[in-house]
Amino acid sequence: MAPWLASGLIYASALSLAAGGITLLYMSTKTFNFAHACMATFGFYVIYSGVVFFGGAPYRYFPLVFIVGALLGVICYYGLNRPLLKRKASDITLMMSTLGYDLILLSIIQMYCDFLTFTYKLSPRRVSMNLHDFEMLGTSAASVILPLLAVVFLTGLHLFLVKTKFGIAMRATIENPVLAGASGINSDKVYMAAWVIGGGMAALGGAAMSMAQTGTPVLGSTTIPFMFAGAILGGLHSLYGGILGGFVVGLTEYVGVFALSQQFGPWIIGYRMAIPLLLMAGTLLIFPRGLAGIPWVSLFQKLTGQKRGVGV
Amino acid sequence: MLTIKGLNSGYGKLQVIFNLDVEAPAKGITVVVGPNGAGKTTLLCSIMGIANVFSGEMFFEGSTLKNQMTHMLAKKGISYVPQMGNVFAELTVMDNLQMAGYLMPKSEIKKKAEQMTEMFPVLKKFIQRKAGTLSGGERRMLAVAMGLMKNPKLMLLDELSTDLAPIIAEKVMSEVARLRDELGITILMVEQMAKRALEIGDTAYLLVSGGVKYAGKAEDLLHNPDLCSMYLGIKQPAHRATAQEPSTKTVLPERSE
Repeated sequence: MAPWLASGLIYASALSLAAGGITLLYMSTKTFNFAHACMATFGFYVIYSGVVFFGGAPYRYFPLVFIVGALLGVICYYGLNRPLLKRKASDITLMMSTLGYDLILLSIIQMYCDFLTFTYKLSPRRVSMNLHDFEMLGTSAASVILPLLAVVFLTGLHLFLVKTKFGIAMRATIENPVLAGASGINSDKVYMAAWVIGGGMAALGGAAMSMAQTGTPVLGSTTIPFMFAGAILGGLHSLYGGILGGFVVGLTEYVGVFALSQQFGPWIIGYRMAIPLLLMAGTLLIFPRGLAGIPWVSLFQKLTGQKRGVGV
Repeated sequence: MLTIKGLNSGYGKLQVIFNLDVEAPAKGITVVVGPNGAGKTTLLCSIMGIANVFSGEMFFEGSTLKNQMTHMLAKKGISYVPQMGNVFAELTVMDNLQMAGYLMPKSEIKKKAEQMTEMFPVLKKFIQRKAGTLSGGERRMLAVAMGLMKNPKLMLLDELSTDLAPIIAEKVMSEVARLRDELGITILMVEQMAKRALEIGDTAYLLVSGGVKYAGKAEDLLHNPDLCSMYLGIKQPAHRATAQEPSTKTVLPERSE
């Protein structure tokens, strides 16, 4: 597999997880979670610390990554989000509160980096996690394992939301909290579950991202515009749209820059970050509700020349 | 019995209900009627903890309902069927019924859902369809079925007959009467189809501008030509109106602000 495609697949998988988490939190609590940035960075430092102190492949620490991300989500919910939701705070207030939380997490990350630097003489501020990777099926293991991990995790999440009583209750609460409450569903539990899953997805996304990009204390902060771009491209009101949006944004950055550099020369690589954002803007101009708002079925039928059957 | 004393409530800083007293006798149907903007829906929202209660007391079977989370009220056996947003549009009909019975054991949910689809056969036909794709009438039937799923002690019904074809509306009203007669459920219903609601009701309240204009027997309100024509648009045959004795029930003066 070409290195640019391998990196693109890893990055796209990471963004699909992170953007899915942003979408889930926005749909459930109407909170644009800026703390997703540092939650993702925490994910990277969990696998880094695991590999440095205990050895082995980075992938064995991914369950721990999810737990740490979930914990950060729970702290954010009980410490900030829940009290503000009870006071019926506006969307802007909810969003800005997560920015404050993000700055606190960033300080903790910097302190941890200082601790590793001065106590263990490590260099945690510039890490290439792919040096700890191994080869699988003739390519890097990350380009096989991480897309697979994303697919398995998101399939599990889908089954949880569709097949389990609590998952259906989550969807019900997201859609109509008043009716859900009248049905006996405790919205508090649902919102906490959303922060557990959303936080876990952010950390998993960050850990996965560090296998394609240099790991730094601002890994999440530099990539959060793309996490949001993915969520917005997905339409913000569909979890599946957010996941797809994240994947498209991530893959476009790598595939787009490769295709354009072949056509126009390597100077275009300097503008690689603009490509997914232009894609997002262009898509939203044509489809204001994002990828989730595109009538995929009728579009497919139009393209293939099939007539629409009589629906039930 | 549901008892409400001196209720003042609304949304945010806007007060809609003023010093309201309501008593809904156990195992009876209490009908709340009145013109648009009278505060009928706000009364139900206040009971369910959705509207802001500024002052007053609310009790059901001796325990207070004030400052309770909505899901805690559902646990107390209170079922609420809202006028709007009364189904989960993104869920299938079956999932809607399952969510309505969220607090019930799984086996009972299945049994009860079957009963509901027997009562409303159209729901059986669309059981795996998303509720958002149903017509207005079909959605209302689903909402009623969801309200009945829980085996409630107290049902709060908001404009049940809206969107329903007359024949279905009549069926639903008869069902409400059956819930009282056979299952002994206490019912507080807000209804625009005032005449039919008052016919099946035991107690009635006429709300005007957030206050009580009439409190007493439903039958007496139905036979009060002045109030019926002025606030409810019910016109009665002249002989019937004149044949009635003047109502001796509580007819309160207009609230002065």
